[in-house]
Formats: sequence, structure tokens, C-alpha cells
Amino acid sequence: MNIFQEIWKSIVRRDPLSTDKGKSELVFMNVWLHIHPAKVKKENMKFTHSFYLGFITFFLFIILVTTGIALMAYYRPYPPHAYQDMKDLQFVVFMGPFLRNMHRWAAHGMVICVFLHMCRVFYTGSYKKPRQFNWVIGVFLLLLTLGMSFTGYLMPWDQLAYWAITVGTNIGSYAPIVGGQLRELLLGGHTVGEAALLRFYVLHVALLPAVLILFTIVHFWRVRKDGGLSRPLWKLKKKTPPQLVTIGAPAEVAALQTVPASTTKTYGLMEVVTGKPIFETIAPEEADEEVFSYPYAFVREAVTLMATVTTIMTISLFFNAPLEELANPAKTPNPAKAPWYFLGLQELVSHSALLGGVVIPGLMVVALLLIPYIDRNPSRHLRDRKWALWIFTIFVVANLILIVIGTFFRGPGWALVPPWVHVTGGVE
Amino acid sequence: MNRRSFLSWGAVGVAALCSGVVVSLGAVLKFLTPTVFYEPPQAFKIGNPGDFPFGQPTFLVEEKIYVFRDRVKGFAVASAVCTHLGCTVAHFSSDDRFHCPCHGSVFGADGAVIHGPAPRALDWYEVTQTRDGQLRVDKDKIVPPTYRLMV
Amino acid sequence: MERRLQQIFFALSFLALALIIAAGWQADTPKWKDYQKNYHALEAQGEPNAVAKATVIATRPEVHQVMLTGLQRVDRCTTCHLGVEDPTMKDAPEPFTYHAGLGPHVPSKFGCTICHGGQGLATDKDNAHGNVQFWQTPLLPKEYIRASCGRCHKEGDVPGVPELTEGKRLFNTQGCRGCHKLNGVGGSIGPDLTEEGAQHRSPEWLAQHFLTPNAVSAGSAMPNFHFTKEQAKALTYYMLSLTSEDMGSYYSSERSIPGPEYGRQLFAEKNCISCHAIGGEGSKTGPDLLGVVKRHSPEWLDEQLVNPELVYPGSAMPAYDLDPNSRKALLAYMAVATPEDAHLLLANQSRTLKPEEIAIEAGKQDFARFGCVGCHGTELQGGVPNPNAQGGEVPSLLHLSDDYTKDEVVAVIKEGRMPPLDNPKGPTPPLYMPSWKNLLSREDINRIVDYLWSKQQQKKADNW
Repeated sequence: MNIFQEIWKSIVRRDPLSTDKGKSELVFMNVWLHIHPAKVKKENMKFTHSFYLGFITFFLFIILVTTGIALMAYYRPYPPHAYQDMKDLQFVVFMGPFLRNMHRWAAHGMVICVFLHMCRVFYTGSYKKPRQFNWVIGVFLLLLTLGMSFTGYLMPWDQLAYWAITVGTNIGSYAPIVGGQLRELLLGGHTVGEAALLRFYVLHVALLPAVLILFTIVHFWRVRKDGGLSRPLWKLKKKTPPQLVTIGAPAEVAALQTVPASTTKTYGLMEVVTGKPIFETIAPEEADEEVFSYPYAFVREAVTLMATVTTIMTISLFFNAPLEELANPAKTPNPAKAPWYFLGLQELVSHSALLGGVVIPGLMVVALLLIPYIDRNPSRHLRDRKWALWIFTIFVVANLILIVIGTFFRGPGWALVPPWVHVTGGVE
Repeated sequence: MNRRSFLSWGAVGVAALCSGVVVSLGAVLKFLTPTVFYEPPQAFKIGNPGDFPFGQPTFLVEEKIYVFRDRVKGFAVASAVCTHLGCTVAHFSSDDRFHCPCHGSVFGADGAVIHGPAPRALDWYEVTQTRDGQLRVDKDKIVPPTYRLMV
Repeated sequence: MERRLQQIFFALSFLALALIIAAGWQADTPKWKDYQKNYHALEAQGEPNAVAKATVIATRPEVHQVMLTGLQRVDRCTTCHLGVEDPTMKDAPEPFTYHAGLGPHVPSKFGCTICHGGQGLATDKDNAHGNVQFWQTPLLPKEYIRASCGRCHKEGDVPGVPELTEGKRLFNTQGCRGCHKLNGVGGSIGPDLTEEGAQHRSPEWLAQHFLTPNAVSAGSAMPNFHFTKEQAKALTYYMLSLTSEDMGSYYSSERSIPGPEYGRQLFAEKNCISCHAIGGEGSKTGPDLLGVVKRHSPEWLDEQLVNPELVYPGSAMPAYDLDPNSRKALLAYMAVATPEDAHLLLANQSRTLKPEEIAIEAGKQDFARFGCVGCHGTELQGGVPNPNAQGGEVPSLLHLSDDYTKDEVVAVIKEGRMPPLDNPKGPTPPLYMPSWKNLLSREDINRIVDYLWSKQQQKKADNW
């Protein structure tokens, strides 16, 4: 054996991928891949079950981290420089506009995909036992994503950024007792200024991503420990409880042996196989068609990754991220709008500060967090969950309507103006 | 499609993927390469020839250069940055030598190392005259100590 | 299915590669590289030998920028406008033409945008010329470029730009400050004009606005002052020069402190001689100013000019609206002023004022300076249309004493007032009396009221 083979063998210690053992070892002997099970249930991986929204969200996050680190090389979180750096990215840095566009559009995409992912999990009833807590973590991840996007919104230090954050943080200050202090703590002052930019920058590039990554790790781990993706609704008719199949040691050590299925757990820690495909060793009554993660799951993930990347790249090639004039605290644009995902809240605040700014969003978050514990109906069938579906649908639609109104139908002075009517802002 | 043609397709695909990664890395490198510099430019105008006296060299503090003007030979520009560790050398008319304050390197009038830890002679920069008559120094263009500009 | 997915994956890899190459190509072929290529070709024509030609043509394309730390700007205009400093490019086509007649204002020290406007950081034509959304100062049209001189030359007359002097004079005499704030002083009915030169307003818009305010800004409260075209242009010049941008010590005209000549001009303009004497020549109301610069420190004197009441509580001297350099010029004049000169000044003045007239004169000055004349008229005649206010116009102040006591008028000036409505259900009148208590001291207000009372006319008996 020559030295190169030896080096290679010391890095990759699994059997060849043509063997089932190799396929299995590829997963559980690799630190990056072992978050996957060695085998997945084929039906669970169907696109129409999950639309891969979790993966897409994660890949968008990866895009955001990579482009974000690149952009940091040209960004100084200090008011006059921050804006000039945006202009430099736009005008002199090689591919600066492209990377900034990617960062911007991936950020919006992530907010959307996180939300859609939550909707998918709700409609398929996947937050139910044993996945209640992962839903809670998921809600935290939604909030963290909003936090990341919100703090990033201030970075360009243009009029759009400045006033969106001014309005956005003012919504938060309506919280009773702590609201004002919370805003001061966040801004490092009474208004959005140098201190606020620095704090938002620290939150945006250090604290929030760190917390987000930690929660993501837990989220993925729980997906695995809760038995992988939930069963698609169309497979629920079968009443057979999930079977655990554990396979014995390799053939040369002991004979292949099927251990009786446990009724409390859904699967084992790992699966050791001999030469035969593993699904043939499963009891015939287990109807699930299980396949190796390699290549079945991986190729799907890879396609999702490339689709996400190319989509963002295509959008970034043709649409530029907005950059308005330098932030001017003395000149409020009319209307001043929060980032689009908070426009629902701003719409509510325009009607009632306390109700719209505190009570309703507060209840919304608490309700989201408690969904798996309030909804104790064990059935995941759509027909058994009429109430839950109605309430959630109303919540989603109401949010969407408010955001659409806030984004497209609000003109100067927060007056109702249809988007096709052109209004010049302000009084001369 | 048979297995063989699929495999070749796969090879092309893998090539595309790999070149995509390589091109991306190259793009990131080029992204990181500065295109504009927020620092004094490497090439700059230092004024009209008449601004500089004959004989003793003129030291330009910000540019860190010595401008020599000789009635017969013309203009020459020497770097004032010690080749050892980058301290600024001082020219003394008493011995017509450059002395480095940090580690005692001494350079002759032609920039050659006479004494001390400096590994090589002081740099001489190209000096030219622009169309509006001013002298222009380009620090990116190192010239031999014998280089002179006649005006 | 599996095979299909793998094919899709590879197809997407191709797409990604193509997209990256497309983005890189887009980033690597900016228009300015073409301009530089053309310029170097032009330069090469002037080179004598083939080697020099080749060297010029082979010049690597790069972004040229002028860093203007003092002006807090970076101008990259010379990336395309390569010939501005090269006299041999006098007849070259744009964007390579030589910029003649700059005097000391060389591009390498001043950049371009400080005078021309536009976006210095940009490297493509549309953005650099500022004709894009979200850039507030596009290139100024040729006939208005000289307005920029006023950005640095803030004091005195700018040689060659009489429009600025005239615009400033109109602004100070026509009562613009009654509605508009400038550098913190003025009313609140119209927009603050401190940054007007940095706003996205075309000069044409401004000029038209001065001629017929309602034509360009529907429903504007601004009265029509019936300016001539030349006056409108002068005011536009002045507006375009307004900016609070810090020009840094190198560029600000503070570097060239105006001499005593300008101080003397101010001394005469502000009628100082009607209160003060120099060596006995002049009025005895205020202190004699001969040798005043020896009796007090420059700081003390400066403060006295800014805020007399702070130095001498109850001082009768009005707080004149003088910029720092004008104050320095005045002090410079004080150092050289002689009784003979004061005599000359007195001879040019139509008549000296009696002590009781001095307060009234000061009131008149305040009335003009704070812009009351904008609505109430230079002769207190009023008459500016104000729809749906009682009478339909700003009232005349010539008969105030018939209906009000002095204290009541003081209260109205202090607190401001909404005019009574003609039709209670109609719209709010555009003009109203702003509150002045934060801008005017009690003495100022008293002086203004004294001035008003000095102008009261007897009500005609047959007015009923």
C-alpha cells in the first residue's frame, strides 16, 4: 500500500459506497453527515410532504453566512462610513453589488421560508407528540430570524434603514413598564444613532447568529431524535405503530438477528448491517419503504441546495438591493415604514398602540409557543382538526392581509392609498 | 440514456460543480482585493521643479521621501523607509549619510548600506515631469540609484 | 427518478457556474474601462515614439479618486474625466476635456462635486451625474454652477457672482425668515432652508417657485412676492448655496478673514453710528468705540456682538445676526477706526437718530430681520392673501392701537395666533402667526411693539 492510499485510508475509513455497510458508515462515521439517520423512510422524503422548506431555510442561512462574512470585509459600523461603504460596494468593489444583492434577497427569502416552514409543520400536524418541544424551538428560530433580518436592516444606514428601525423599535417601546428601557438598551440611546448602529452590528454579526446556530443544532438533533420527518398525511391511514428494528453485529462476529420491536421508541441509535439491503430485514408488516440516506436523501438535499443557490443568484443578477439616500434624522419620509414583515404590526399600531404594539403581538408569540400544548388532539388527520386549522388559517391570512395593506396600500400620513395611485409625499 | 452516457454526463457535471467552486473562490479573492485605496496614493505630484533647492535634499514628511536636486545631474527621489524594519531614516548633512533611529543602520548618499542590520540599500523611486510641468513620483517604480531626471 | 434528480443536480451546477461567470463578467466590464481605453488612445496620439505610445496604451485601467478629507468627500469623477488637469486636452471631446479657468480650485485639492454637484463616489454616468432616484444633488445646470461658490464663500460679496449677493440681500429684506428657518432662526410655517442647497430640487423648480409658488407646489402657503425673473434667479442662487456642510478649515472662507474694509461696510450697513461714537464722532447712546479692542479681549467683544444681553443684562443693543467672519471683520475695523472716518460715515448718513428713535430703529431692524415683513409688509400694510382667514388676507398693522393694548400685542407675538376663520367650516388658512418666544428676547419684542406703535395711523372717522 503506497503512502497516498494510506493517507486516504486514514481520512476515509468507511467501506466502499457500493456496499450497504459503506453507505451506512458514510453517514454515521462522518461528523457532518451523522445528523442524518443511515436510512430514511422513502415516503417521508416526498417533496409534496415537506416541500423541503426546512432545508431551503438552512441553505439560505448558509448563503447569508458566507456572503455576510465577505461583506464584513468592506463594512465599518459607524454612521458616515457605513453608508460610504455601501456606495463602495456598489461602485468599486468587484462583484460587490452581486454579493450584497445575494445577502439581501437571501435574508428576505429566509424570513419567508421560515414562515412557510412553520405553516407546513402546522398543517401536517407535525408539532404533535413527540415533537412538541421542537415546535417551540422552531418558534424561537422564527423570532431569531426576524431579529437577524431586523438588525441587518439598519446596516446600510440609508433613509430606508434609519426610519424602518426608528419605527420598528418604537413599536417595541409600547410594551408596558419595560418597553422604553428595552428600546434604550437596544439602541444605546434615545434615538437611532451611532450607538444603535454599533449595537445592531454586534447583534447582527455575533450574538444573534451564534444563538441561531445553537438553536439550529438543537432543532436538527430533535428532528432526528423525534424519529425523523413526520409521516406524510397520506400514510396515516395505517394504524400499525412504528416499529423499531435493531440489527445485530456484522456477520463475521455474530449471526444477523432481528431484535423484537420496542413499542415506546421509534428507532435505534444506529444500524449495523451485513451485505444485504437493510429494508429486507425489516419485518414484512412494516410497510414503510426504507432506503439508505446515501444517495436517496443526499441527492435530494444537494438538488435543493443548488436550486436555492441558483435561485438567489439569478434574482441577484437582475434585481439590485435598495439603497436610498444617506440617513437624515431631520427628514422623515412620509410614510415611514418598518421592514415589511413588521408592517402588520405597524398597521395594528396605527389603530391602537397598546393593543397593536403589545397585546396582540405578545399573545401571538405566546400562542405560537403554546400551540403543541394547547392542541392536545392526538389526531393528525385534517378532518379531526377543523378548529385548529381554522384558527391558524385566520391567523396566517390576517397577518398577510395586514402586511399587504401596510406595504402597498398605505401612503403619506398612513392614509389608505391604492398602489396604482401616485401620490407625492410631504408638504412643500 | 444508457449507463455509460449517464456516467460521462455525471463526469461533466462534477467538472461543472468543481469549476463552480473554483470560480467562486476566485471571485471571492478578487472581491477582497482592494480596487481603491483610502491612503496616500503610490504615485503623486510633489510640485514644480522650482520648489526644490539645489544641494541639500528636501524631506517630504507625509510621502516619506527625500528629493535630491543637483545642478548638473538633475532630480532623484530616495525612499526614507529603512529596509530593515520600516523606520524612517534621517539624512544628516554633516556626513551626507542616512541614519536609522531604530537599529542604527547607516546608508550612504547613494542609499547603499554602510553599517547596521539593514539587508539592502534604500529604494530610489522614478520621478518624471507631467504635462503641466509638475514633478511626479511613482513609488511603484523602483529605479537604480543612478537614475536622474533632467529638467 | 433518482437518475433524473442527479441530472437536475448537474444541470443546476452548470447553471450556478454560468451565473457566477455572468456576475463576474458584469462586474469586470464597467463602462469606465472603455472610457480609459479611449483616453489612453487619445493620449498616445500625442506621444512621439512607438515605445511611449505602447506604454500609454498599456496603462492598466483603475479607478481614480480624489480624497478630500477636509470636505469629507471622495470624488471619482476623474476615472472618466481624465483630462481635466491636462492642458493638452483642451480640444478633446467629453468626458476628456481640460477644465480651464479653475484658478486655485484644482481638482486634486477640491474635487469636482463641491461645485458641480453629482455623486462623487459613483463610477457610472447616471449615478455619477446624480440623475437617479435617491441622490439629492444631481449635476447643476451650467448657468447655476456658480451658485456653489457660496458654499465656501459665505461672507461678503463673491467676485463674479452678483446673483449671490443680491439673493442674500433679498432673503434678508423680504421677510423670508417669517416663515422659513435658516441656521436656527426663523418661523415654522414653511420648510427649514438650512440645507436647501443639499435638497433634491432642481434650480428650475426653485426659480419657478419664486415666480409663482402655487404653480410648482399646489396649495403652497407661500405668498407671491411678485419677484422679477432676475430676482427669482438671484434667490435660487442663494438657495442652492445653503448648506450646513462643514467645509473644513482648508476650504472654508474663514481661512481668509475679511479685512477692515468689509468691517467698515458692515458698520455702516448696520447703522452702528446711530448708537455709538468713535472718538466723539457719532451718537452718545452707546459707549464710545475708540480703542474698544484694547479695553476688551476679542472673545469678550465677539460675545457682545452675538448676545449683548448675556454680557450686559438689559443692554439696549440688539443681537445682530452676524456670522463669525463678519464679527471678526467688524473687530478688525474697530482696531483701525478713526474719528475722521466716523465723521465721513456720519456725513453719508441722512440724519442722526435721537435716543428715543434708537429703540424704534432697532425694532424696525428686528421686524425686518426676523421676517415679519414677509407677511405684514415692509410698510406694515399687510395684504398677503390668506384664504379663509377673516378678511381673506394678512391684516394690516397700521391700526393696531385701535383694538389692542401693547401688552396684548406682546402676548400675540410671544404665543402666536391662528387667525379667526371666515367660514368656520372651511379649511385652515395656510398662514398663521408663529410663536416667537423661543427666538426673540423680551427686549426684542418690546422694541418691535414700540416700532409698531410709532407707525400707528388714526382710524378714519368714516370707516363705519
